[in-house]
Amino acid sequence: MLSILSDLKGPIMNGLLLGGLYGIIGIGMSMIFGIVRLVNLAHGDFVILASYLSFVTISFFPVNPLLTLIIIIPVMFLWGYIVQYYLLNRVLGKTIEPPLLVAFGLSIILQNLLLLIFTPDARALFTSISVTTIPVGGFLNIPLIYLVDFIASIITIFLLHRFFNKTYMGKAIRAASDDEGAAQLMGINTKTIYAWAMAIAAGTAGIAGVLVGMTFTFYPHTGPEYLIIAFGVVIVGGLGSLLGTFLGGLILGLAQILGAHFLGPGFQLLSGYLILLIVLTFKPTGLFAKG
Amino acid sequence: MELLQSHRFIGITLMILAFITLPYWASRYWVLVVLLFSLNLALSQMWNLLAGYSGLISLGQQAFIGLGGYALAVFSIYYGFPIWLSILIGGTVSVLFALLISAPIFRMRGVYFAIGTWTVAETLRILFSNWEYVGYGMGLFIKPAYKLTFNTIYFTALGIGVASVVLVYLILRSKLGLGLMAIRDEETASETLGVDIFRCKLTCFLISAGVTGVVSGVLYLHTIFIQPYSAFGIDWTIRLVFITIIGGIGTIEGPIIGSFVYVFLHQWLSDYPSVSLLILGGIAIAVILAAPRGIMGTIQDRLGFEILSPRRK
Repeated sequence: MLSILSDLKGPIMNGLLLGGLYGIIGIGMSMIFGIVRLVNLAHGDFVILASYLSFVTISFFPVNPLLTLIIIIPVMFLWGYIVQYYLLNRVLGKTIEPPLLVAFGLSIILQNLLLLIFTPDARALFTSISVTTIPVGGFLNIPLIYLVDFIASIITIFLLHRFFNKTYMGKAIRAASDDEGAAQLMGINTKTIYAWAMAIAAGTAGIAGVLVGMTFTFYPHTGPEYLIIAFGVVIVGGLGSLLGTFLGGLILGLAQILGAHFLGPGFQLLSGYLILLIVLTFKPTGLFAKG
Repeated sequence: MELLQSHRFIGITLMILAFITLPYWASRYWVLVVLLFSLNLALSQMWNLLAGYSGLISLGQQAFIGLGGYALAVFSIYYGFPIWLSILIGGTVSVLFALLISAPIFRMRGVYFAIGTWTVAETLRILFSNWEYVGYGMGLFIKPAYKLTFNTIYFTALGIGVASVVLVYLILRSKLGLGLMAIRDEETASETLGVDIFRCKLTCFLISAGVTGVVSGVLYLHTIFIQPYSAFGIDWTIRLVFITIIGGIGTIEGPIIGSFVYVFLHQWLSDYPSVSLLILGGIAIAVILAAPRGIMGTIQDRLGFEILSPRRK
């Protein structure tokens, strides 16, 4: 029993660290789900779009991919604002189908645009960080990039938490998400608020995209894979909770790595999907949902 | 418009006659176009039955396409079953699988249902690509299908295309259809009046799964080669969403018009597959913004013209 546990130390550590990355992939999706009540089916493609933007930036200015965030975050922010303000706001209404389908159309367009520009070849933002491992306690080696992902995720979630609780815009966004009608009566322009929310969500997708690109290879069609991960994080973590989203990411990451450890690498995604389906079945509101 | 209404059955009959005799007077290219049209029509008619009439936005129709195709492959290659029997087994397997997942999947609503069905299909994709029995990700060649002539496949596809339209028409004119429309208009009120919502939706889900499985079998007679990444790929559902949205979601004619548009666009843009999807995505968004009810829905709203009306007069 003890030997099994010590065998599992590595996978558990890696699973938790990977879960941090999943948390940041899911955070933007969770925000939009909670605030605009929209499932952004293009969220995964936003992440991959940012990976490619970083890839392009590096080809002009050969710097560490993390430094490209200075450009990527504002660009993604603007992109999110435009998409919400000019496209998605126009189809928000009583039924969920139109915004869902517009986002789906957007996803198809992004994937094929990336395919057209960058060809189907695998790309990566690998640097020395990506291949370095650091020893922990003399018996474990963890990839440095996983640790970077995890720390970046915690910083992002902490900053978002501050933003939603301390700033006027953050409070306005929360008000609009609690009661759209009442917020409008208080003089909040909810359409603009939704655009801001999507802008911030796209900004977090930008951070996620750079980290994903530094951790794994990516293709134009990788988006949907991360969409399902993001959705899994949102479902497992529950709606409207930053901490829940983070914990959802950890659970999903752990499930995937342990699944791969016991069943073989082919089953890494599968065990994540199974966890998602189990939670969807037994507690569709998520494990850490408020109220 | 009156003239159109009264002559519509003559028009439909002439069109079907033209399609039946097509292999004898048209080039093989046009026969192929109508074959693809018929199969897309049947598949999108089934997605429309779910999304347009039952309020079930499924993003997992590819699960049944994969199951139908793999059932054909496995039973005809490994067990030497007759091809048509294998295709029917594919339909049965799809229905059984739909029944199996219905318990958890029907606990999910709206968006949850959409992603739930997608996740189920993704799960199958990974299972099949890790399954030695079906040749992992390498896929299978459905050699027994070589015995069939191109015309046989064409007539089967055409028959299935027409049958799918008739089937949806009959469903909508039945008690089930009445229940579906009541649910669509006001879910709570219809339940109070005794409409069994779960049963109505489940029936549609099972019918849709079974027919999709069978259509997929015919489709793979034509494709010959099946591989998990394409068979269980989301591209199938993207196509069905596009066809139904363009044509008009929640109308019987929508998938007919949509399949027509899709097949022609696809043929025209076939040299540039990447651009073709790009344009399809753009058109879909433009249609949702400009005419949310699609081509046929807009015509119905403006002119009151319907080819097949499911309404009681």
